[in-house]
Amino acid sequence: MNNLSLLMDGFATILTWNHLLIMVIGVMLGMLVGVLPGLGAPNGVSLLLPLTFTMDPVSAIILLSCMYWGALFGGSTTSILFNIPGEPSSVATTFDGYPMARNGEATRALTLAFMSAGLGALAGVVMITLLASSVAQFGLKFSSPEYFAVYFLAFCSFIGMSSSAPSKTLVSMMLGLAFATVGMDSVSGGLRLTFDIPDLVKGISFLVAVMGLFGIAELMVTTEEGLSFNGIKSRIRVRDILRTMAELPRYWASLVRSILIGIWMGITPAGPTAASFMSHGIAKRFSRHPERFGKGEPNGIVSPEAADHSAGTSALLPMLALGVPGSATAAVMMGGLMIWGLTPGPMLFITRPDFVWGLVASMYLGNVVAVILVLSTVPLYASILRVPFAIIGPVIVAVIFTGVYQVANSTFDFWLLLFFALLGYLFKKLDYPVAPLVLTMVLGHRAEEAFRQSMVMSDGSVTVFWSNSLVSTIMGLGVLMLVWPLFSRMLGLRGWRRRLHRQKPQASKPATPDSRP
Amino acid sequence: MTHNGISRYSMEIATALLTGGIGLAICYGAWQVGTGWTPSGPDSGYFPFWIGVLVVAGSVVNLLRTIVGHRHKDEIFLDAARLKSLARFVLPILGFAVISLLLGLYVGTTLYVLFAMRLQGHYAWWKSLASGVAISVCFYLLFELVFQVPLLKGPLEHAFGIY
Repeated sequence: MNNLSLLMDGFATILTWNHLLIMVIGVMLGMLVGVLPGLGAPNGVSLLLPLTFTMDPVSAIILLSCMYWGALFGGSTTSILFNIPGEPSSVATTFDGYPMARNGEATRALTLAFMSAGLGALAGVVMITLLASSVAQFGLKFSSPEYFAVYFLAFCSFIGMSSSAPSKTLVSMMLGLAFATVGMDSVSGGLRLTFDIPDLVKGISFLVAVMGLFGIAELMVTTEEGLSFNGIKSRIRVRDILRTMAELPRYWASLVRSILIGIWMGITPAGPTAASFMSHGIAKRFSRHPERFGKGEPNGIVSPEAADHSAGTSALLPMLALGVPGSATAAVMMGGLMIWGLTPGPMLFITRPDFVWGLVASMYLGNVVAVILVLSTVPLYASILRVPFAIIGPVIVAVIFTGVYQVANSTFDFWLLLFFALLGYLFKKLDYPVAPLVLTMVLGHRAEEAFRQSMVMSDGSVTVFWSNSLVSTIMGLGVLMLVWPLFSRMLGLRGWRRRLHRQKPQASKPATPDSRP
Repeated sequence: MTHNGISRYSMEIATALLTGGIGLAICYGAWQVGTGWTPSGPDSGYFPFWIGVLVVAGSVVNLLRTIVGHRHKDEIFLDAARLKSLARFVLPILGFAVISLLLGLYVGTTLYVLFAMRLQGHYAWWKSLASGVAISVCFYLLFELVFQVPLLKGPLEHAFGIY
């Protein structure tokens, strides 16, 4: 019950016209980046982050998180109308969403997707409301070795759950950790890895990395594929929306099942992409008419969307309560928290309850606002994709350059941006996962600090990571995650990954399996 | 280079060498500041050094997987047509970065949008120029006036007295 009163306080914090306006702006901008090629949720949040430095943290997190919801909805829109997944996690929506829209039922497909996505997101927030305090309480038991173990677990699960080769995931992740160590060493105060380049003293900002890896690199891949969008013209009629909403209760079984899958995959680091694929696959297996899937089956739209959004929102629980983001976008937001002077983790619940519960309350409201806004503005956003890429592409590049300059008012960052763009381009084309690099770049400092403090505690002995039952359990789980690919191959669970790979070549908007939004 | 483009095989090798090289640089940089044990715990280079070792190890595995496993031998990474459209996109960006350093982001944006639209979309001069100027003006209004974050300016803005 305590959580409920805290949540009410949260609503009291955010229910101002100012915050509502910020919510609307966030959702609209999010849908814009979700629809535009080359701009996804992580990139959009990175571009907006420098502009929030002067805002108060509550308004800033509302803006950024609403942008995230908007981007998720924008991604589903392009999946259904253009057969182009705007986000990797909405690939599974194209299986049945696009066929239904092609059959002349675009409004029905969009409404089904948005409503089930909204319900999934709400279920995720309810779960956060109920569990956040207890998870944070649990997190208070953690000291440095436990924290390092949690990071270790997160890193291992990337290797275990990734669809790329483990050695490629390892390289990507470790490069992120290494880039995070460049510049001033926060423990000793000395400089390291600067190679006598004065511009490297300030370090390498993860924002510049995100804009290169997710922004320019994605645009490079997009240009190369040569863009031609053959969208389905959709006129949204209120009557169709209402009729579809009335049919929604028929799919309750798929909804409940997908939401549970989504929440589980969101809290554990499997993420929204895996959740949506798994949910679509299970819906098909349990269906009495599996032959209808792939031809516009409503359950095939409801399932991946509900799972995707419930996983997306649930991923914020580990970020808030333990300081371990579940996706690239959550990582960028967590980086933002640290820039605003907040430390994600259990202590945040004690020091800044207004912030935590304001964010949770804004997630309820933001998703409702997003569903309404997205339904009323779909034609507008769909028309943006019809503007030739030769105009949109350069504008996006110019916006990214101004964004990079704003990070630290440094022109050296232009060259870093180009370096990350090259790296991202190579990684995307050669199936290296990009999201782990961003995650480890944000987590790098904290992981290293936890490691060094643990080593000081134990006087240099690594046995500290097996010293009590809690830390050994987490480390053990990490090791289990490392060997998970072997297990899952034996159990034949790798189906969704194969399908993800098969889907990829048709998607003109590149959706690398692991660049989770 | 095969006759119809760059093969994925060679790019896999090149990328593994690139990441391996970065890994070696990390190890070297970490070794410079010390990778041992100090009275106050591990030295600043300790953590990065082992990270660098893992980068090198992963890169070596990637390299061997490609070469020994003969992976991606027949796949094409980039053919001539795609290379051309990619170059049309990337070269203006390089120019954008250099011009922005010299003349500021506003002039850079105007010229970049102008040439990118000409090169990629074959738009008329006046349309491209108008778009470039319009976007620069939008940036100015948005960033300098609404958000009050100054962008990089060059000699042209100074000549007009805009700081």
